[in-house]
Amino acid sequence: MVSTLELPTPRMEEWRWADMQALRSAAEAEPRVTGLDPADLFLDLDGPRLCFIDGAFEPAHSRPGAVQVTRQIVSSTHPLASLAEGEGWSLHIEPEHAVTAIQIVHLGSGGESHVPARIVLAEDAVASLVETYAGVGWANRLTSISLARGARLMRSVRLLQDEGFVSVRDEAEVGEAASLVSIFLGAGGMGSRIDGALTLTGKGAFAEMGGALLTRGSQRQECAVAVRHEETDGSSRQIWRAVAADKSVASLAARVEVARGAQKTDGEQSLRGLLLDRTATVNLKPELEIFADDVKCAHGATVGELDKNALFYLESRGIDKARATAMLTRSFVADALSRIGEDAVREAFEADADKWLGGTL
Amino acid sequence: MCPGQEFGTQVMLKIDNLRAEVDGKEILRGLSLAVNAGEIHAIMGPNGAGKSTLGYVLGGRPGYAPTGGSVRFDGVDLLELEPHERAAAGLFLGFQYPVEIPGVSNVQFLREALNAQRRGRGEAALSGGEFLKLARAQADALGMDQEMLKRPVNVGFSGGEKKRNEMVQMGIIGPKLAILDETDSGLDIDALKAVGDGINRIMRAPDKAVILITHYQRLLDYVQPDFVHVLEAGRITRTGGPELALQLEREGYGVAA
Repeated sequence: MVSTLELPTPRMEEWRWADMQALRSAAEAEPRVTGLDPADLFLDLDGPRLCFIDGAFEPAHSRPGAVQVTRQIVSSTHPLASLAEGEGWSLHIEPEHAVTAIQIVHLGSGGESHVPARIVLAEDAVASLVETYAGVGWANRLTSISLARGARLMRSVRLLQDEGFVSVRDEAEVGEAASLVSIFLGAGGMGSRIDGALTLTGKGAFAEMGGALLTRGSQRQECAVAVRHEETDGSSRQIWRAVAADKSVASLAARVEVARGAQKTDGEQSLRGLLLDRTATVNLKPELEIFADDVKCAHGATVGELDKNALFYLESRGIDKARATAMLTRSFVADALSRIGEDAVREAFEADADKWLGGTL
Repeated sequence: MCPGQEFGTQVMLKIDNLRAEVDGKEILRGLSLAVNAGEIHAIMGPNGAGKSTLGYVLGGRPGYAPTGGSVRFDGVDLLELEPHERAAAGLFLGFQYPVEIPGVSNVQFLREALNAQRRGRGEAALSGGEFLKLARAQADALGMDQEMLKRPVNVGFSGGEKKRNEMVQMGIIGPKLAILDETDSGLDIDALKAVGDGINRIMRAPDKAVILITHYQRLLDYVQPDFVHVLEAGRITRTGGPELALQLEREGYGVAA
């Protein structure tokens, strides 16, 4: 169908590393049986559960609780997110209420699926959310997030599709003293585009978007995140790690924008790539755009190979080379995943990363 | 005759005419040494003589390529083994500059190391509880804060703490042969004593042996060597008892014995 005709091209600067060919192939793939049981994709947490199969809500594997299944009109102008119209889910939490351990599972069997989501937290409301992508095909998602004063959202997203493509776009407004933390793990065989536009609209807001992309074979994954500070005393973090093996490509583009008048902004940006093979590629594009004068923005961007000294140190203590490589690679991504607040969720993500390492090294 | 060979019958390590290159440059030029179980050997020598290279070649570090001669460890051709297999065979290399590994805790690293070695020897792995007990006892014995066991390997440790940590590792792993490369460098007097005591406690046994690679005599005040060798230009040029170390300290390496 569609949509793939109007895809962005590499000539557009913000899409220069995007693998739209993989997206197109995924969208055109014939549906097939994945053999995956949605029940296995949920973590063992008490909380609302929603399952979308090929973009359609699947009540048999869901217990939505506070989450509503709704049709949504999308106003995003983003080239992929603007396609994410139709049936989706929304979460509205009243002031000072909390809903935690919400899980959303997206299972694809081929072709394209589009799901919009909306998260609105009123003053001092709290929510935590885990999203899992599995199967095949092109999964395209838009998540609109609005956090009122003092609201807190912790979101953990893992991309575990065997193949195909996952594109996720977050558009968030973070109000006064509110906190948004979104951590992503790309540890499947699919291509990906993790795209974010976070705006700190209130004084003292906090926004974080980061994670780890693990690529191998001829896979390409990327993130493209922009955090915009519009008010004073805000802080933001973008901690991204990319690990690339074989002939794969992992790309990290992250931008911090500080508007005129957004004084006392504290931004931290750390982009690091690790090449497991000389044939792999990591692209990094850190950007700072600062129009205020009383601002602290720490930033760093590096690409390298595993430290040979460290590798030999581990081997000399009896750990074989494959295991030593896995331990050091795991330690490389650890600080990106350590941001996940809930132990059970973090451990599940770490286990996914370990599984990837086990299959790669 | 190789030094050390005249004592006992059990040769643990026998290095014969060893040659090795680093970056295409020959560093070890026909080095021979025999170490029996129960012995402590000190290897001293000027900078650039090949002391650290000897440790790395024995440990199997990539880039330190043996080009001739042989090394037998408990009758096995050591140079044929991968670094981790050398460790499982009972070889421990103490690093001059222990490496920092963020994101991996000391406990996790050491348990993994010990159990990998035990598996390599066909022994059962230690449980978490058994391992912690062992690790705490060794940390206590070396005067290392228990909290440091939980911290990432060597991250933020002072020079002295890193060397103590090497000794804690040695105590936990319990090797047959320890090659300690400049373990005394960067230590204050208290740490030097703690490390010296650690070496004596862990390694002074009839079935164990130590090669202490050192530039200075001062560690030898705490760990009495049975033999002192001078390594110059890639081979051992002199061998004596503890008095040789004192003489070198007094007179420098340039003076003939």
